[in-house]
Amino acid sequence: MFLEIKGIKKSFGENESKVQVLKGIDASLEKGEFCVLLGPSGSGKSTLLNIVGGIDNADEGYISVNGEKLVDMNEKNLTKYRRKHLGYIFQMYNLIPNLNIKENIEVGAYLSDNPLDIDDLLKTLGLYEHRHKLPNQLSGGQQQRTAIGRAIVKNPDILLCDEPTGALDYNTSKDILKLIEDVNKKYGTTVLMVTHNDAIKNMADRVITFRDGVIRKNYLNENKVTATELDW
Amino acid sequence: MRNPLNKRFFRELKSEAGKYIVIFLFMVLVIGFVSGFLVASGSMVAAYEQGFEKYNIEDGNFSLAYEADDKLIATLEEEGVNIYENFYSDEEVDSGESTLRVYKNREEVNKICVMQGELPKTEKEIAIDRMYADNNSIEIGDVLVLEKKGYTVTGFVALSDYGALYSSQSDMMFDATKFGVAVVTDLSFDTLTKDSVNYCYSWTYTNPPENDNQAKEMSEDFLESLGKNAVVTGFVPEYLNQAINMAGEDMGSDKDIVTVFLYIVVMIIAFIFAITTGNTIAKEANVIGTLRASGYTRGEMVRHYLAMPVLVLLISAIIGNILGYTLFEGIAADMYYASFSLPTYEIIFNAEAFLLTTVVPVAIMIIINLVVLTVKLRLSPLKFIRRDLSTRKKKKAVKLNSKLSIMTRFRLRVLIQNMPNYLTIVLGIFFANVILLFGMAFPPLIENYGKSITENMICDYQYVLNAPVETEEESAEKFIAGSLNTLEGKLKSESVSLFGISEDSKYVDLDFDEDSVYISSALSEKFGVEKGDILTLKESYDVTEYEFRVKDVYYYPAGIAVFMSRDMYTSVFELEKGYFNGYLSDSEILDIDPMYISAEITEEDLTKVTRQMETSMGSLMDLLSVFGIVMFMLIIYLLSKIIIEKNAQSISMTKVLGYSDKEISSLYVLSTTIVTVASILLTLPLVDFIMSKLLPAVMSAYPGWLPYYVPFSAYIKIVVAGVVSYAVIAFLQYREVKKVSLNDALKNVE
Repeated sequence: MFLEIKGIKKSFGENESKVQVLKGIDASLEKGEFCVLLGPSGSGKSTLLNIVGGIDNADEGYISVNGEKLVDMNEKNLTKYRRKHLGYIFQMYNLIPNLNIKENIEVGAYLSDNPLDIDDLLKTLGLYEHRHKLPNQLSGGQQQRTAIGRAIVKNPDILLCDEPTGALDYNTSKDILKLIEDVNKKYGTTVLMVTHNDAIKNMADRVITFRDGVIRKNYLNENKVTATELDW
Repeated sequence: MRNPLNKRFFRELKSEAGKYIVIFLFMVLVIGFVSGFLVASGSMVAAYEQGFEKYNIEDGNFSLAYEADDKLIATLEEEGVNIYENFYSDEEVDSGESTLRVYKNREEVNKICVMQGELPKTEKEIAIDRMYADNNSIEIGDVLVLEKKGYTVTGFVALSDYGALYSSQSDMMFDATKFGVAVVTDLSFDTLTKDSVNYCYSWTYTNPPENDNQAKEMSEDFLESLGKNAVVTGFVPEYLNQAINMAGEDMGSDKDIVTVFLYIVVMIIAFIFAITTGNTIAKEANVIGTLRASGYTRGEMVRHYLAMPVLVLLISAIIGNILGYTLFEGIAADMYYASFSLPTYEIIFNAEAFLLTTVVPVAIMIIINLVVLTVKLRLSPLKFIRRDLSTRKKKKAVKLNSKLSIMTRFRLRVLIQNMPNYLTIVLGIFFANVILLFGMAFPPLIENYGKSITENMICDYQYVLNAPVETEEESAEKFIAGSLNTLEGKLKSESVSLFGISEDSKYVDLDFDEDSVYISSALSEKFGVEKGDILTLKESYDVTEYEFRVKDVYYYPAGIAVFMSRDMYTSVFELEKGYFNGYLSDSEILDIDPMYISAEITEEDLTKVTRQMETSMGSLMDLLSVFGIVMFMLIIYLLSKIIIEKNAQSISMTKVLGYSDKEISSLYVLSTTIVTVASILLTLPLVDFIMSKLLPAVMSAYPGWLPYYVPFSAYIKIVVAGVVSYAVIAFLQYREVKKVSLNDALKNVE
């Protein structure tokens, strides 16, 4: 088991305004698995993603990656963990506005001892001709591709995607999903993707659905389709 | 792989060129000036200190009523000193325009540095002090008339015992326009009038003292022996000689003032950078969150945001230092040469100047920004991603009275939101006002001092005589002139003029009695002596002390003085009844042979301090005023720019809603205007208070007293200068508001 999620509980607020967002989550993922976390807004899926990413803490329970528990890590080791194992993609691309496309990807490469070839990656992402442009000269889809490039260039073990297509149109969303699917296949990257788009579950190896802080369903998708075949 | 984030620096510089160029130029000028100042003063102080050995500067000098014979010299030299003749004669130049103290060339002690030209070789030649020549526009080859004889100027010199051209140790300030020193040949000196020759002797110890305390003890022992063997008319050990020490002390104290000034400027710039960076962090919060979530450490982010301010300051410091050694060093040296009669010097590399102008400012910049950045970047990556940058739990919105108009509440919200910027503006304006007050109030302060001296002169002419000679002049009134010294305490011992005033004097209208004295307002303010106090003074050349009960304070700003009746004077100092040694007069006394007059004090003598201060400090004060205004504008420009940038999206949104540029400016620019104008007005009383304490503290190191005075017009000038400079900035802010695009409201809304 590569990624183990054990008894995760998390609440926000205090006293009367206290809200328990995660009420005891147990799940596990194998290396290279593509897992989709589905659920309505406020169901706790992004919170779980952030706890897996080591940028938020659980009140109870633990996350273990390759046998290493995040709860045992101090701030410094958590940063090391993120540096070594994780790639992050957000709904808003969060690119650095005054670095060009290639440089934004180099920002990810810098963190790795063994990064992917940047020019190859730019070509794979379809951004090679745009590599000298600044983010605001690109479309939303191209900016999200850049964000994906920045996340995967360091060849992470886990790719955490928080609503990566939330701000994109249908066709661009499919392009982006295809790209993530390619990364998963090509590099064997474990993908954990938060989405509220029900259709995306069809391209996942595993689907976990949330409601009110608990897992409603956790199953392996036996009728997996490719991203190109998705429709919604 | 080099950190790709570093590539942002150049682009950041380019995109914020205006801001960085302004800061860069300002810091280059400030550091250049300070570096130049430190290099010049360091080199000059080194030359000055080496001068003690190089020019064999005396350990002291004394004057005798009569020329010492060989036996006396031999007796004195038994005290472990070497005695050198150093006779001089004070000669009027060009019929009284100024006075030159003429010496023979010195070859053993207090040697001469030839700055330009050469020393005189013939009887009709003279070499004069370089600074005196500058102030009187005298060129080499010009002919000066002394005692009706013409002397051709062959060179400009610096006498090593006249770094500051004090004609007397009791002078509060020297006047290098009206007084100078000169050298003639031995033969030429002997032809000068014998009557005016001062039998001055310099001495050096065979075993020099190691410090001032030892020097004090040795000089007191020597004075005791001297007093037993001769009639001493003057005695100045080197460590008390203002003419020798003033330049060195002044250059030393300037260094501290200039360095502190630099550090305050650096601190203000560091805060401006910290606020700018804070603004950038808020703008880039989601990027920072993503980078942190991707594995960038907090340290890497801190270093990244710290690099730019440090880089800008470091480059400014390096270029400033280069300019310091090349351009500003000369300017600073000229300022010293305008104030002091210093010998030539060579520029020496000053490691301390580099440390003070580069290492320390960079360290200040790093510390201030490091603290601010560490606090700002302490938040978790998640908080950055969510753009939740509050460090405290939940900040409640400040409640505002809903009866206030929405525009007023809006402005108040702008004020509250930008509190750190406005606090830095207040601090910057406070500091700029200190500089402006110094620059703008100093000239009227000097002028007022001169005026109050003139208006409160006892009389137009004071004569001090060698012997009690009678005069037919009707306005003349007999008086006794003398002097004692204050005791050494918190302040250095200094000379106090004693006036023994005739009964029913028409010049000094005071109700004297037999056992108390009046003190001058200058003495009262400087030494804190009040009515009813006991004032203790001592003889200048021995340890006898006198106590006087102060009857009242007499408004006399011209000097540190004590007034008493002639009867009391004669009784205290055991002189015969009716004794006098001078005249107070409103008309010039023409019927006394000049040989009986040892000193004639006129308005010109009393006001020389004002002239010298105007000569040596006038340009510096103008420079300070300009600097104060530039700094004022820079601070407000940078901080108000940040406020506009920070609110670009809201400004854009209000534009979308239909507000005009004028209305939006009234929201954002008016808030800054209120803070600026209020700061100018409210910091002035505080600045005035600080200056009123600071100036006396600075002035107490000098002999005499310069009362603190700032005319109301100086405050008006400061306020007008502030408001007019701010008007320029407000116009620039208005342009910034106009430049904000409507699209900003729709961009980057995540």
